[in-house]
Amino acid sequence: MARVITITSGKGGVGKTTTTANLGAALAMQGARVAVIDADIGLRNLDVVMGLENRIVYDLVDVVEGRARLRQALIKDKRLPELCLLPAAQTRDKDSVRPDEMIGLIEQLNGEFDYILIDSPAGIEGGFRNAIAGANEVVIITTPEVSAVRDADRIVGLVEAAEKGPPHLVINRIKPRLVNRGEMFSVEDVVEMLAINLLGIVPEDETIVTSTNRGEAAVFDQRSFAGQAFINIARRLNGEDVPIIALHDNQGMFDRFLGLFGRNKA
Amino acid sequence: MGDLINIKGSREGLRMHLAESAEWPAILAELHEQLGEGGDFFAGARLVIDVGDRALSEAQLAETLEVMQTYGLQPDSLASTTRESRNAARALGVTARPSAQRKTQAAPSSEGEATLISRTVRSGQVIRHQAHVTLIGDINPGAEIIAGGSVVVWGRLRGLVHAGALGNRNAVVCALELRPTQLRIADVIVRTPDDQAETLPEIARVEHNEIIVEAWRIHKRLKADS
Repeated sequence: MARVITITSGKGGVGKTTTTANLGAALAMQGARVAVIDADIGLRNLDVVMGLENRIVYDLVDVVEGRARLRQALIKDKRLPELCLLPAAQTRDKDSVRPDEMIGLIEQLNGEFDYILIDSPAGIEGGFRNAIAGANEVVIITTPEVSAVRDADRIVGLVEAAEKGPPHLVINRIKPRLVNRGEMFSVEDVVEMLAINLLGIVPEDETIVTSTNRGEAAVFDQRSFAGQAFINIARRLNGEDVPIIALHDNQGMFDRFLGLFGRNKA
Repeated sequence: MGDLINIKGSREGLRMHLAESAEWPAILAELHEQLGEGGDFFAGARLVIDVGDRALSEAQLAETLEVMQTYGLQPDSLASTTRESRNAARALGVTARPSAQRKTQAAPSSEGEATLISRTVRSGQVIRHQAHVTLIGDINPGAEIIAGGSVVVWGRLRGLVHAGALGNRNAVVCALELRPTQLRIADVIVRTPDDQAETLPEIARVEHNEIIVEAWRIHKRLKADS
């Protein structure tokens, strides 16, 4: 049985697609067979972020509507043979797929992969419903901003109502200097508010922009702090006990990040 | 309260029983009155209309829906034992289901009972109960509790709470951390001051047409109870 994990957030632009691409790559690097599914039909991005856009022949809607077999639509990653992408259709919309069709699709993939990661669209409507329909776990991405945390809270409620079990939390794009000055929520603030299990934290990192534009996962870049954070999250998903950096030692964490940032600039 | 119409909260939401034997115009008048008295309590709620053995015509159901709409109520479904009523429901696009009148008639209390909830109430979630509500957990911003009676929160209250929503100004709201986005008791509304930094247990109640908030102290308890 594959672990089917939907990555979602409610709010747009907090890093669902980046997280999906990087977790997919990190898990594959650790030897797992991984399929990533872009459920953002009509606004597909995951293929671009993974640098696979020019290899798409068939997409998810083609499979659902019977124009292609699943195997034809799956695209192998450039670097990692264990990583496959099922791209979204760009010329259709969210209503092209029903939740039961998503479940059917995932059942077909189930025997061949260890992980199936589903990149959810923003929002709480049909697209989100499709994305969580086949999942047995949910990872919620938020940034330490009021609006993102509020939307994440809404999503936690919906995930609980859908009986997917308690979701995991990833806090993305933390800017330690702002937290330090009290101008941004701290990790503790967010965890306290959402009251769900913290799977990992990812610092704001300019190298993400570069790697995303190049279509290469940040996890390949040893100097990318965000990439290393995604590797740690993947290891935790795999059941390894990797401590989250100094969650209980704020000052230490800030110092460390500040130090790293300083070095980065030099 | 007349005994023609009985609205109760249950696990599946609000349920409205219409007396089976009474004259229809009397029922309709009572419906207007009860929903009018409820004020904000009903706004945005969905309820099950339970007509028991009454054979409701399509026209009667349409009248009922019209009155409900006036007070912001949505029909969840129509419960009935008769085919006529269920056909009327289908004709008007309301889900029809079997009546549970028999079973619930045994419950005598129309006031309803206090409820105890142990979880986090999250943004977008609404808890609606016709009596007191006790919550063990947090009420996050964007969540709402609407209660006919008082609301006691063993946790952080950061969402919206409307106590005494049926008009009871004696209702109180207390929380370990009382920082609601907005607080309503009956028809009185306040918002939390932006600079509030207290995290002590506090209690809110109405005094002289205003909601006042005080730190929880044992000697205040008798006052709050009365």
